[in-house]
Amino acid sequence: MKQPLLKVEGLRKHFGGLKAVDGVDFQVDRGEILGILGPNGAGKTVCFNMISGIYKPTGGRIFFDRARTDGLPPFRLAAMGLGRTFQIVKPFTSLTVLENVLVARGIAHYGRFRRIWGPWRSKDQVAAAMGILEQVGLAELAGRKAGLLPLGNLRRLEIARAMVVGRKLILLDESFSGLRHGEVSRLEDLIRTIRQMGITVLLIEHNLRVSMKLCDRIVVLDHGRKLAEGTAEQIQSNQQVIEAYLGRRRRKNAAGG
Amino acid sequence: MSGYLITIATIVVINAIVVCGLNVIVGYAGQISLGHAAFFGIGAYSAAILATKAGLSFWASLPMVVIISGLVGLLLGLPSLRVKEDFLAITTIGINFIVEAVFLYIPFFGGALGIGGIPRIYLFGLKLKGFSFFLLCLAFLVLVMLACWWFARCWAGLACFALREDEQAAASMGISPVRFKLLAFVVGTAMAGLAGALYAHYMRFISASDFSFPVSITLLSMLVLGGMGKLWAPLLGAAILGALPEIFRPLVEYRILFYTAVLLLMIRFQPSGLLGDDSLARKVLARVVPGGRS
Amino acid sequence: MHLFLEQLLNGIAMGSIYALVTLGLALVYGILRILHVAHAAIYTVGAYVGLAVFKLSGSLLLGFGGAMVFCAALGVAIERFVYYPLLKYPPYVPLIGSIAVMLAIEELCRLVAGPYILTFPAKLPLAAVKLGNVTISSTLMAVYAITALVLAILWYITTRTEIGLAMRATSQDMAIADAMGINSHRVVSATFVLGSAIAAVAGVLVGIYYNQVYPTMGAVPAYKTLALIVVGGMGSVPGAVIASLLLGVAETLLIGYARIPLPRDALAFIAMIAVLMWRSEGLLGSR
Repeated sequence: MKQPLLKVEGLRKHFGGLKAVDGVDFQVDRGEILGILGPNGAGKTVCFNMISGIYKPTGGRIFFDRARTDGLPPFRLAAMGLGRTFQIVKPFTSLTVLENVLVARGIAHYGRFRRIWGPWRSKDQVAAAMGILEQVGLAELAGRKAGLLPLGNLRRLEIARAMVVGRKLILLDESFSGLRHGEVSRLEDLIRTIRQMGITVLLIEHNLRVSMKLCDRIVVLDHGRKLAEGTAEQIQSNQQVIEAYLGRRRRKNAAGG
Repeated sequence: MSGYLITIATIVVINAIVVCGLNVIVGYAGQISLGHAAFFGIGAYSAAILATKAGLSFWASLPMVVIISGLVGLLLGLPSLRVKEDFLAITTIGINFIVEAVFLYIPFFGGALGIGGIPRIYLFGLKLKGFSFFLLCLAFLVLVMLACWWFARCWAGLACFALREDEQAAASMGISPVRFKLLAFVVGTAMAGLAGALYAHYMRFISASDFSFPVSITLLSMLVLGGMGKLWAPLLGAAILGALPEIFRPLVEYRILFYTAVLLLMIRFQPSGLLGDDSLARKVLARVVPGGRS
Repeated sequence: MHLFLEQLLNGIAMGSIYALVTLGLALVYGILRILHVAHAAIYTVGAYVGLAVFKLSGSLLLGFGGAMVFCAALGVAIERFVYYPLLKYPPYVPLIGSIAVMLAIEELCRLVAGPYILTFPAKLPLAAVKLGNVTISSTLMAVYAITALVLAILWYITTRTEIGLAMRATSQDMAIADAMGINSHRVVSATFVLGSAIAAVAGVLVGIYYNQVYPTMGAVPAYKTLALIVVGGMGSVPGAVIASLLLGVAETLLIGYARIPLPRDALAFIAMIAVLMWRSEGLLGSR
């Protein structure tokens, strides 16, 4: 039987009276690209934050790589091979692009007291980090302060860091938003490359066209609940999804002219 | 060198060591501490008590003093680092007031009279005073600065930088915020403890007011003036703020006003300090010294 | 029992004065997220200005008024020239700026008025009240009355007026308040006017209560009030008032009864650390 890499069961997160996520189940199989879709406030990012350990779930269970992980702190999950990006980018602004990636490379050192005293700017480390930067297309900017980069490059920097940390699973939180057309297609290629490296990808996307093209399967959330799950075609023809998501879009577009 | 100059230079070097510790906590790890004088005091009081009550020599007590300071730093850091930014600032102010009160009101620490009769330091049978004591302090400063230099180059330091910039992003890269903040706190307080031991054996008499809250502010001013997170900032800041009052001795009446005005102007117009990346001083220097890094 | 009551009354007076100083700090923190240490210097200036105007004019009312106007202007000046330009930096930057302002003002007071303690020979036009065998002196009565009045006015302003509404909106989220057409910078200035004027009242009141005005009178309140806004819940005004009253009473009673080996000035911080460990959002705070 195929073992899922990530599995969430009955996941719930309540903020006071607000049920941001209210009983969501899904699983991500090894090697697939799964997209989480949904309108604003559907609970996508809250789900991400529970999976990556930033929030403790109110209820439900999370299994990552066969271990139960709900309630573990983010740095533990990172050590288990889960990398993530943030929708609102969080670069280490006064460090250079290269140093940003080197911070991620330290994942092999931070957990052991004796390993944190070695130098981080060694030849091997820099070469490895440059390799990643080349993959995401930031190599020429390696020496630039991260705080000076435009948004598109910061999104790629986030992905570069997530690629180093996420040996098994990478969570991408709206990595396409705010990107120009050319940047979008390059990022699509990058995500396919990541999958070819054997890394599983879970992504949150607002942009329907992108996720339909990229994802093997899609989970649609609305108001903290799972509305539908399936392939792009299945989702596109799902009546509920059309109602809740596409319909609303269309109506809005129509109203907006 | 005249005795007067040596005295000032010795105090500057001791202060620079304390500020190096503060730099690790505030400059490297980004954890504001407004109570650093408390740890300076804990070092000085441990050294004084080990010397006068237990009769230990400076060299025998030094490792203990550094360990005690680091441990107290760990103990007080644990609850402090659970809170963030503003809370941390206030908590560290609180620690300073409480530690000073403990020194002042508990008879074991000499109470209002402080502790006197602290012996001088001997090295190879040689009594260190004046210039030789200054050299000893300088040697320790070199050691501490080497430690800081290394800290900025090892993974632990990089983890601290990441935490300073963005805690959530750092945590998503495997960095335990609590563990590395505590590490920086312990390293910083241990350095303050070392400086405290030197101070106690130099002054040979210490009292609680030597480590009061305004001292913490002075230490922080030195760091801000030099430039947070820069290796040479502690020495530069300690030297400038240590020398200024002496240069302006005729204006002794306006000394503190001048001091605070410098601090205010600095923080208002150049919060990254003299050695900061975008500082005016650095730009001027880059123009004067061709080929210097801008 | 008699002594206890007297201690309690003194403690409440103490707490009232803490509350008047802490209020401004809580207001400013609520709106700008800045630890306004220099607030205590404004309070010192208030005492000096109040004393000067009182000596010149002979009118205590003018003394209060002059102090309030002067301090309001000083507060706004600090906000405009120090805090506002520093808002974009990490919080320790404005905090250090604030401490520098505090020390500079303290020094200016010392240089202008001299380092010695001045007396404040004002008589308050209130009668002493006798409750059984306990007498509440006219000074104590004045402290209670003025605190109650200030609190009532503040409550009215924040809940019943437009500027109060704008203040609350701005403290929730400055960007959203801006988007809703509130001139947030003006609201911030109004907050400083209000807080600083109240600090001036506290300064004059303390000057009369202890019959002492001196340059460093703000030093201890400066940091103690920081602890109080933590205990009260950062930026919560009612929380700050309750915390202040509790501390005033606790300090007075502990000094009177329990022989604790620590000075009363450390008590606020011990209470604060205990609160942080037990309920990190403070008594009435929410996060």
